[in-house]
Amino acid sequence: MTIKVLAFAGSPRRGGNSETLLDWVIEGMKEEGGVEVEKVVLTEANVNPCRGCNACEKLNKCVQRDGMDILHDKIIDADCIILAAPIFCMGICSQAKALIDRFQVFRSRKFVLKLPVVPPERRGKRLGIFLSTAGQNWDYVFDAAVPSVKCFFHVIDVRDRDIHYLMINNVDEKGAILNHPTANDDAGKLAHEVISELRKRLEM
Amino acid sequence: MRVKVLGISGSPHRHGNTETLLDAFLEGAAESGGEVDKVILKNLDYVPCRGCNACHKTGECIVQDAAPPLFDRIFGMDCIAVASPIYSMGITAELKGLIDRTQYIWARKFVIKTLFFSHEHISRHKGIFISTAGLSWDNVFDAAFPAITAFFNTIGFEYHDNIIANEMDHYEGILGHPTALREAREKGQSVVREIERLKSR
Repeated sequence: MTIKVLAFAGSPRRGGNSETLLDWVIEGMKEEGGVEVEKVVLTEANVNPCRGCNACEKLNKCVQRDGMDILHDKIIDADCIILAAPIFCMGICSQAKALIDRFQVFRSRKFVLKLPVVPPERRGKRLGIFLSTAGQNWDYVFDAAVPSVKCFFHVIDVRDRDIHYLMINNVDEKGAILNHPTANDDAGKLAHEVISELRKRLEM
Repeated sequence: MRVKVLGISGSPHRHGNTETLLDAFLEGAAESGGEVDKVILKNLDYVPCRGCNACHKTGECIVQDAAPPLFDRIFGMDCIAVASPIYSMGITAELKGLIDRTQYIWARKFVIKTLFFSHEHISRHKGIFISTAGLSWDNVFDAAFPAITAFFNTIGFEYHDNIIANEMDHYEGILGHPTALREAREKGQSVVREIERLKSR
């Protein structure tokens, strides 16, 4: 059995700081062995914003036919879900916010229709990772992103205490993260920690 | 000259709670003699910021769509009311997508330094944030404020006030809320009067 990881690169800038951070984590996970990672680049994934129609509260599915049709089952199947996104204007970039808001279908399933999002035996065995970068050096620059990230994971049955965070500020221009003193090491450590924890929980 | 007020509706849901609250504000502004108009973001053709940072060199956005003309229009306003419901503890992707597009204006101010707003200019240009949320939590708007603050700061508007109403699920919509619509109307009336006073000085 392999550990399944689904990784979202939320930035519109390809190969930028948040995607580099994500690539380091993915690399670290692959070194652990027995890990299957799928990386989804959001700007190429055709995920439209939520329309706020609330039809999912009745239908248990979204009325929009787009990239989420493909992602839906992968989100449920993954043992670990990673969201990587930069901070723009003191919040998560709008491409990632669109994905977060489309998780409304899971929220409706869980809280309105009271149906399971993952099978009962998999609850408490899913981990989440939020990776972020910001140009500003303010230490509170990530504060407004975190509540939305908690919603994102909460509705897909990843508990608050099972979300791991690695957020690096003061990296603005493309490639700035390459000069960060600890980011690369921290990403490697995080990958190791999360995969070890998953092995334990999945009794592998 | 009449006080110009523009409402910007960031909800994908037409005539829902947030847009109704915005309408009450705009009605109040019109009652005080304001010249009011409304933009519906979901009907506007613009894409999110690409994060390419080309504007850091030129001060212009390389994406030619409806966003830069909307910012030009905003610069001609005395007051803007930016409205978004709370989705997943934040503003909608539509409004965040627009706010992120102000990067070229930010670059003019802080990178190439060709744009500066005086304190007097800022104090005469008022920004209002209008929002509704289904949840009853007191903190449900907290994560929306920083992006709205960044938006108003970048475009040289004072973050004048919030018109926010939570517990929409409990009240079964904005029409069931005991005070929100009246408050929005009164704030629309008073902000126009205040801008008139500032302009006549």
